[in-house]
Amino acid sequence: MADPLGIEELDQRISEVKTEIRKAVSAQDFAQASRLRTQLRALEAQWHGALELAESSVSGKPGNMQLPVRETVHQILTLLAVPAAPRTIVAVHAAFFAGELAGSQLTYLRRDEERSFRTAPHGRPYYLCSALTYDRLTAARGLIAVSSWPLHRRIVGTLSARVDYLRSAIKLAEHIDRTDRPSPAAQRLLWQVAAGIPNASASFGDARPASVIEAATAELSVHDDDDRVQREQAARRARKQLGDAEQLFGAPTLSAVRKAG
Amino acid sequence: MSTQLRLDALRGSGVIAKPHNARTIAALTRNPGCTRRAVMDAAGVDKDKTAAATGHPASIGKLSPLAVARGQGFEARVKSQGGAELLRLLRENLGLPIPQAHYLDLGGDDDSVIGGRYLRSRSALAASADSGPDAGTLFDHPMLRLQIAGVWVYLEPDMVAFRLEDKFYIIEIKSFAIVDGVADPGDVTRAAIQSSVYVLALRNLLADAGHDPNLVADQVILVCPKDFSNQPTAHFVDVRKQLTVLRRQLARMADIDRLLDSLPDGVTFDLAPDAHGLPTRSAADLAHALRSVEARYAPECLSACELALFCRHDAHDAHSTAALGRTVREELGGVDCTSTAVALGTGTLVPTDDLVQAAETLRAAHALRTAILGQLA
Ligand code: SF4
Repeated sequence: MADPLGIEELDQRISEVKTEIRKAVSAQDFAQASRLRTQLRALEAQWHGALELAESSVSGKPGNMQLPVRETVHQILTLLAVPAAPRTIVAVHAAFFAGELAGSQLTYLRRDEERSFRTAPHGRPYYLCSALTYDRLTAARGLIAVSSWPLHRRIVGTLSARVDYLRSAIKLAEHIDRTDRPSPAAQRLLWQVAAGIPNASASFGDARPASVIEAATAELSVHDDDDRVQREQAARRARKQLGDAEQLFGAPTLSAVRKAG
Repeated sequence: MSTQLRLDALRGSGVIAKPHNARTIAALTRNPGCTRRAVMDAAGVDKDKTAAATGHPASIGKLSPLAVARGQGFEARVKSQGGAELLRLLRENLGLPIPQAHYLDLGGDDDSVIGGRYLRSRSALAASADSGPDAGTLFDHPMLRLQIAGVWVYLEPDMVAFRLEDKFYIIEIKSFAIVDGVADPGDVTRAAIQSSVYVLALRNLLADAGHDPNLVADQVILVCPKDFSNQPTAHFVDVRKQLTVLRRQLARMADIDRLLDSLPDGVTFDLAPDAHGLPTRSAADLAHALRSVEARYAPECLSACELALFCRHDAHDAHSTAALGRTVREELGGVDCTSTAVALGTGTLVPTDDLVQAAETLRAAHALRTAILGQLA
């Protein structure tokens, strides 16, 4: 079955349907308008459902046997050791963890962490925070990182996406190598990752951890130095220019500055 | 009166011009000879609403949510993790060297700073053009702009600008399948037109930054799912022809004054909406205004213009041969009306000199038809 829509997607669909309703009404197509209204009600019901789901898993309600989402994500990021997108986190979860994790459950995670940090700074051992763009030091779109990492590892320069892809491939391969009997899902994930690295997999569908590690390390050595220079420069700038919260969650964007001003 | 005031008057009092995007700009080129469409688009008239108010609501441009979701899913996959899939494709198919693995996301979550985002895209791409190929490979979501009838239109394409050696390419990710190296020609044409809009806009951006616009290739790279799988495959598509048509149409709209001069005084497409936004202008009155601007209906309009059902209705009423399609119109060169065609074919009308050839074709067709009908009887 297809993934249920996330809250943001639902938001967007709802506003699209509303626009269509307005159009139908102004075109005096009342049959269409009534069909659309039914659709709107169904979407709104889904929206409330998705919100409840997100709330229950973020707060880790009693009776929920799984780890709270926050801790699960922390474990996955620690395994990968690089900032990752919800999509990647969900894929790694499916390969190594029991239970379900849906992308929609990660939607408000970072925002909630930021709120918590701002009310009681440094109150928790770690925060799930942003990666920062190397040029503007704003939050990089769609990436989640861990506050306890050195700052330069949370910077995204022009080569960082590639470098982090290779680093996480090595980490995944090492993890699978250590696992006694890796699940078919884990092996599939390793092959998918390997497919993006030259000489990492022997044949279609087949990737051995050792060759993934070797191939990824080889390509990494091409990019690593340039990437590190860019990241470390940006990290120095961030430490000088940004307060604690901004170092974790990104410099305010231009529009946020305007709204505040 | 200034051009802008004339365009405002066409659109109607207090109505905000409908913004363009790559799809609407691409659609401009589908029927370049039509004055009705050119002036309405230049003025930013909401053709969708206009069509509905004449009683011929539009039937185009509505993708199903499922198709949209599928397209977004494929694109997100290809671009995820710094375009890892994309890099693999480009390395395998185009021999992109390993060190060139830069990925810069120029997109933003916020559209209130569009101008700023354009400048950021411009400086990133200009910096890359200034230095060796190591200064950037993939530029995701660059903000571009084009001038349409004197107004800057910002485009936020879901495409990637890609640098290989000293050329920039547009990469368009589409979710229609390429099966055994072949895709649906209609899909490819639509993608090519849309990409040509980006090629032109990217050329403008480089020119704006003082670089040679021809750094942008007139071939684009189309990335699609391969053979019903979810695996992407890449193909070059030549968009030179689309670029020529697009440039010509934009020039025509830039020279909009000349078209406006040909309109009768006081014509407007104002729907005079009431407090609820419902049009108060009568359908007949609006249709009259539309008819005062020359149109050139062809069956292609059905997939490219919101007014198609209105114009088709008119074309049929006028027995226009153009409504039968471009091929027929060209075959009948000079015969505008189906009743004239019938009269020439049956010999009840003597052709003027310029219609002799068309009349011959028609008589032959008529003779053939009579013969076949005779056999069937
Ligand atoms: S539908 Fe009518 S207005 Fe639109 S392009 Fe065709 S002829 Fe012109």
